Amino acid sequence: MMNRRQLLATMASTTLLATAREGFAQGAPTFRIAALNPITGSGAAYGAGMQKMILAAVEEVNAAGGAGGRKIEVVAEDTQSQPQAGVLAAKKLIEIDKVQGLIGIWSSGVALATIPLANDANILFMCTSGAPEITNPQVNSKGLVYRFNTTGDGYGRAFAEACAREGFKRPATMAFNNASGIGIVDGFRKAWEKNGGKVVEAVVYEPNQPSYRSELQKVLAAKPDVIVTGSYLPDTTIILREWFQTGDTQKWMLPGQAANPDLIKAIGPEASEGLFVVNSISNEMSTAYAKFDAAYRKAMNQPGTSNIYAAMAWDMVIVLALAMEAAGPNANVAAINAKIREIANPPGKQVSSFAEGKEALKAGKVNYDGASSAVDFNQAGDVLPDFDLSVISKGVITRKNIIKI
Amino acid sequence: MEAYLVAMAIITAIYVLLALGLNLQYGLTGLTNFGHVGFFCIGAYTAALMGQIGIPWPISFLAGAALAALAAWPLGLVSLKLRDDYFAIVSLGFSEIVRIVVTSEQWLTKGVQGITGIPKLLGFLGTGLTQSLAVLALLIAVNVLAGLANRRIVRSPFGRMIEAIRDNEEAVKALGKDPAGFKIQVLMLGAALAGVAGGFYAHYIGYIVPEQFIPLITFYVWMAIIIGGVGRISGAFAGTLILMIFLEGSRFLRGVIPFVSEVEMASIRLGIIGLALVLFTLYRPQGLMGDYTKR
Amino acid sequence: MTAYAELMIGGLMSGLVVGLAALAITLVFGIARFANAATGDTMTAGAYVALSVSGATGSVIVGGLVGALAGAAIGVVVYFLIFRKLAGRSSVANLLASIGVAFIIRAIVGVIFEHQQQVFQLPLVRPWRILDIRVQPSDLNLAIVAVLTLATVFLILYATPVGRRMRAVADDPGLARISGISPTRVMIALWALAGSVSAVAGVMYGIKTVVTPEMGWDMLLPAFAAAILGGIGHPVGAICAGILLGTIQEMATPFVGFTYKLAISFVVLLIVLLVRPSGLFGRNEGAR
Repeated sequence: MMNRRQLLATMASTTLLATAREGFAQGAPTFRIAALNPITGSGAAYGAGMQKMILAAVEEVNAAGGAGGRKIEVVAEDTQSQPQAGVLAAKKLIEIDKVQGLIGIWSSGVALATIPLANDANILFMCTSGAPEITNPQVNSKGLVYRFNTTGDGYGRAFAEACAREGFKRPATMAFNNASGIGIVDGFRKAWEKNGGKVVEAVVYEPNQPSYRSELQKVLAAKPDVIVTGSYLPDTTIILREWFQTGDTQKWMLPGQAANPDLIKAIGPEASEGLFVVNSISNEMSTAYAKFDAAYRKAMNQPGTSNIYAAMAWDMVIVLALAMEAAGPNANVAAINAKIREIANPPGKQVSSFAEGKEALKAGKVNYDGASSAVDFNQAGDVLPDFDLSVISKGVITRKNIIKI
Repeated sequence: MEAYLVAMAIITAIYVLLALGLNLQYGLTGLTNFGHVGFFCIGAYTAALMGQIGIPWPISFLAGAALAALAAWPLGLVSLKLRDDYFAIVSLGFSEIVRIVVTSEQWLTKGVQGITGIPKLLGFLGTGLTQSLAVLALLIAVNVLAGLANRRIVRSPFGRMIEAIRDNEEAVKALGKDPAGFKIQVLMLGAALAGVAGGFYAHYIGYIVPEQFIPLITFYVWMAIIIGGVGRISGAFAGTLILMIFLEGSRFLRGVIPFVSEVEMASIRLGIIGLALVLFTLYRPQGLMGDYTKR
Repeated sequence: MTAYAELMIGGLMSGLVVGLAALAITLVFGIARFANAATGDTMTAGAYVALSVSGATGSVIVGGLVGALAGAAIGVVVYFLIFRKLAGRSSVANLLASIGVAFIIRAIVGVIFEHQQQVFQLPLVRPWRILDIRVQPSDLNLAIVAVLTLATVFLILYATPVGRRMRAVADDPGLARISGISPTRVMIALWALAGSVSAVAGVMYGIKTVVTPEMGWDMLLPAFAAAILGGIGHPVGAICAGILLGTIQEMATPFVGFTYKLAISFVVLLIVLLVRPSGLFGRNEGAR
């Protein structure tokens, strides 16, 4: 038994060396975090980018001399976008690698299954998942959980506002049958009905089908003037191709996760003409975004706009590092946690990178203005990013206006 | 370290319970049940829903086992009419229907939102290593019980009957025995074990959602009994252990081969499991623990 | 009424794709006598090869043909390395080995092509209206390919010497061996044929939807259902059953909703099997 333990421990430490990608002197104090991302499974389109941005942001922090006198080390694991694999990965990270924070968790299922583990171990937890329960006080019982993404409700309010601005009267909805897809359209319905509107048809569809024609037909039969979707890229691609081939001409309003340059490439400029896109905007005017974008292009060979979760993952590291810096040398997790809202929210000098924040912290309070949003947390641990309404025209996504909710 | 090993052991023990159920069905009667995850799912949801309203776990586990067995009964009737390979596909379809029902009937199961906050077993022990060890001990006890029961069944007149059915159904019929009844009972018994495994799973993970109950789980259990040796109780244990080492070991393997990216690693893990399955069926059909004298 | 007609057309098209996959399954099932779970991933591999070739040559037809050849090659290699050695073993052993093969193929596809979705770059066309019913030109192409594939399979099975031997082996392997038919040569032809049909099914599915490493595996269950419903070893049965399940699924959606689609397929399968244990077109062999 002892032998196997030793073997496992040795193997674990080799994992560390391989993934940290940062050489530093032995014995120097370090702070170890876990990049727990959806490398495979339904989140695969985003996971690799998230992981690389966590590593890139950590590199920046360490290059600026570390946070609170410590360098950050990263251990990466794949959640496979599945709760069971996520739990085992988190157990390994907590027990063997002794990480002090789990960051970059993407799917709601994995988040809900791993939050209890983070709570038991009293470590930080930062995710991008949409399910409302995640920041519910019962789940987030110790205040260690931070969500860098909007909730389904927030998304839905933005959709309702966008529909109202565009003068739509008869919206219908189509949702991918999972927590996040349904969360968006439910949020939309609540917001829309609150303003006295009516949703003319609502369809929920199962993924991995050869065709979504009957679903489309049901929605189209209600003669909507716009269809709001809670969907992902592959299903949206198939649905829009089929829709174009039915010859209907009503409008579509899609979430950003489904409508990106890949979608336009897949369905062509003609079918994508006039599609509306509502997205929680990365804070694109910010300096932090420019830094993130440059890092993302370098690592992934794609523009940063193609993966908003990667921008969130970037911000997770910077927020954590600034809180470590503010908490001072050798602060424990509780002390660091206590500083997170202080460095992320107003008041304070607006900063957009770790190096800048580290400098400014010497003089007083800072307010990190992130790549993914302004990164201001409310009491529950949620951010409220702004949204934008874009329209696709001639194969290009162009912003029409910004929606603040 | 200890806690991680305990976590691995708990998941392994849950799969052993599943494997014991399938071993009873396929190993002894030749029932090609490819819908095992359906019974697992029924057990998990029963335990989760009853646990949430405060019903003690021994009762909810029994209820889950009973419901799983009940669901197996019509499937058992169907199995009598179908060829082995047809029954494999039909039972696979059964487990998909279970998953679809659980997904669609939101009023009961909360659908795709899943059930959160399922209480931990033996929660009075806190949340530390003691509680995990206690759960593991409980699981091992249940496994040993299931193993012993399995053995008793094999050695009882009932068991000899079961083996006779597998080897020559017509002869059994000619002796005036009713193989149909035995087959259905065995299917129900195996399903009940899977139901209990589901109860442990729901309480251990603490969050269940229909996408956890996909046919891949069934295939994993099949792999475990093929690797370990069909029809052997020790095979169910050994096979599951090896499967888990394959599934989890790649986490540690990556430290040794750092030039492989995380995405490629996931593919490689799948490939290694596939290769193991192929090699075992080709070169060691009786499994690790199998005996060479039979078949 | 037009609504139902359109549902039916939609079902017909889904059914054709499923039916093509079922055709590949039924060929192997009829002759090698097991349910080949690697069919789905052979579809995926065929689709990726076709995608790469059509990207390089600019022709989807050339891509599809090369994809079909690749499918045939996969079939033959898999036979030689694995299933030849498993001949005579139980159908469950073969099925489990084929699950292993499926995983290996998917692992290779995943490493080579990565996980992001890819699409066949084909122009999208607005529909024709016939009697107020929308008919999509792409549907017509799909139907033509399905019919051509089926016709080719039939020609091979009924008009070539190797096809006759295949049918002889399917009817009675023992008798075929006694009459001097070399099982290996028949098997090579069979696996090549089944592999290329899988690849064609994969290409059609890829054109209709998007190409991902999981696409074929996800298609496996409906295809199995159709193969069994049609009666094992019965090519026409497989296609008809695919169409039948596809249309019933779509036409039932107004009554049962969309999430129960796949469940309907299995319920139909179950009911048919209880009445006719060897499927719609299958010869009645009775239980076992």
